[in-house]
Amino acid sequence: MSIVEKIRERSSPLLMHPAIFVGGFIFLGMLFGLQNWITEHTWGYKVNLFLLLRAWIVQYFIWGVICWLIWFWLGRSIQNAGLPWILTRLIPLSALVSVGEEMVWVLCFPHLPLGMHMSYWQRLRFELDGEIIDNFLIFWLVIVLFRGVDYYQRYREKEGAAAQLSVQLAQAQIRALRMQLNPHFLFNTMNSISSMMRIDVPAADIMLEQLSSLLRITLERGETQLISLSDEMEFMEMYLALQDRRFAGRVRQEVRVDPALHDALIPAMLLQPIVENAYAHGLSRLDRDGVLTVEVGRERGRLKVTVLNTGVGLNPAPRKDVQSTGVGIANVKNRLRLHYGAQQSFSMYEAGTHKVQVTITFPLQFSVNPTPTLTGYGV
Amino acid sequence: MINAVIADDEVLARHKLRQLLREETDFDIVGESATAAETIDLVRLTKPDLLFLDIRMPGMDGFDIIGALSADADFVLPRIIFTTAYDRYAIRAFEIHAVDYLLKPFTAERLHSAVERAREQIQNSAQTTSPNGGPDPADSPYTKRIVFKSRGRILFLHVSDIRWIGAEENYVRISTESESHLLRETMTRLEEKLDPQMFLRVHRSSIVNLQYVKEVRTEKDGEFAVLLANGQKIAMSRSYRSRIQGWLQR
Repeated sequence: MSIVEKIRERSSPLLMHPAIFVGGFIFLGMLFGLQNWITEHTWGYKVNLFLLLRAWIVQYFIWGVICWLIWFWLGRSIQNAGLPWILTRLIPLSALVSVGEEMVWVLCFPHLPLGMHMSYWQRLRFELDGEIIDNFLIFWLVIVLFRGVDYYQRYREKEGAAAQLSVQLAQAQIRALRMQLNPHFLFNTMNSISSMMRIDVPAADIMLEQLSSLLRITLERGETQLISLSDEMEFMEMYLALQDRRFAGRVRQEVRVDPALHDALIPAMLLQPIVENAYAHGLSRLDRDGVLTVEVGRERGRLKVTVLNTGVGLNPAPRKDVQSTGVGIANVKNRLRLHYGAQQSFSMYEAGTHKVQVTITFPLQFSVNPTPTLTGYGV
Repeated sequence: MINAVIADDEVLARHKLRQLLREETDFDIVGESATAAETIDLVRLTKPDLLFLDIRMPGMDGFDIIGALSADADFVLPRIIFTTAYDRYAIRAFEIHAVDYLLKPFTAERLHSAVERAREQIQNSAQTTSPNGGPDPADSPYTKRIVFKSRGRILFLHVSDIRWIGAEENYVRISTESESHLLRETMTRLEEKLDPQMFLRVHRSSIVNLQYVKEVRTEKDGEFAVLLANGQKIAMSRSYRSRIQGWLQR
């Protein structure tokens, strides 16, 4: 790894960028210098502010450079250090750095302390007397900072990974739920066609054509999770036509969609299990005059879907095939929860005698790029 | 008598077509072919009026076959009804003036409507005796047919089959005798494409086919409404009233 690359790598997070890191130290030095000057001033001593600032800033600049170099060469080891490494390496290093820093500083200011004419070693001893504890403190604080940076980075990484994982999980779940729907629906319809074949061949032929159209649409849609309401309703209309044929004249279907919502987004295949449920547990028990109403509208900025069917109410005499109940409905609930979290609602209740209503609401969103016009004109 | 050729590489598919076409008493199936080369030879030999053509064939696809046939300038192409399991060629088929585009599996009813259309076109071209069937369609700036997808099918809809058109926000709903189709289209764009001799905009959000207008009546509240032959009532706004009055005086 080239030195430039390594510098770039060690400059993350932003706090550890050399300019910012050393700059931070210089700022700290400036504050201390200012504080020093104010203290001297209040006690009545006249000290040159410029000289004081220079001394403090240089002191902390040296600290900044040394610490960044330590980070550059030893940062990883410090972050991963165990007790033996701390005892055998860091403690000697702390002594070395604390003295070394002072040595450089004393070299930079040969005329300090003012008015005393001493040799380099005398001056160094003088400064170390007053500052060695401070120096150790600074060194160990910086070591703590390095470790803190590491903990913070790991925490962020972990958090990011967790968020990504939960998104992936949700998507996988939604995909699995959709995969469940298609075969379920497909085999049911094939079964109807199979029974229709014995009584009415042309009708079976028509159902086969309708099923092909439904499959064609589903395949084209692929794994898209949210589709426009007009696409979902097109699918629903075809499904309703199939059901209408199965229940020849026994059920009156009513579909009402607010035209302003054709481009609203809805989870694909959301309505079909609900309508299937309405037929399976309500409408199929009627000999005639069944009513199924599907309504899509807007209510306080939310999309509201209601499916109402006549038949028997909720929880009638338990049937043996109770196991089959609710797979589709549970699927719908799960998908709503995965898509919209707490912002959706699903309720199923008796709306009058022998009527069951399902109401779903979720946030109203519109597709950003609606399906392009595919209409062709000509002769 | 209408002479037809069936081109499809699958025996069962040809068999189904042959069987369903037995219902059409004026049809004579003069041959069947299973490959592109066979089809070209057969069509050149028998000069049929109508060709049922599968798009995916061994050798060449359906469009290549048409290309090969029309390479000979003197040869009059038969009318073509495509039969295929794929919907992605529909626009191309539409552009080469195919009569219809049947998605497999299709019902007897759907085939019948395609055959009706073909019969109509063949008879029209026989009357005008011009080799390519009537005046050049490019003469008219208005569309005669619309192609679109609705409920998993491809429709080559003749505008004369449209009863009325209603606006629904960014969409329009086209109603025919038995069905309605939702299209992503604007009223203005559609109005521009439609022949004003045939269609009239009676409201900001509705266009009617004059062919099916039974009467224009005044409602009790003084508003006007257009009544279609099937009993459907469509509101008419004042601003568009003068248009229909102009038309009534014609």
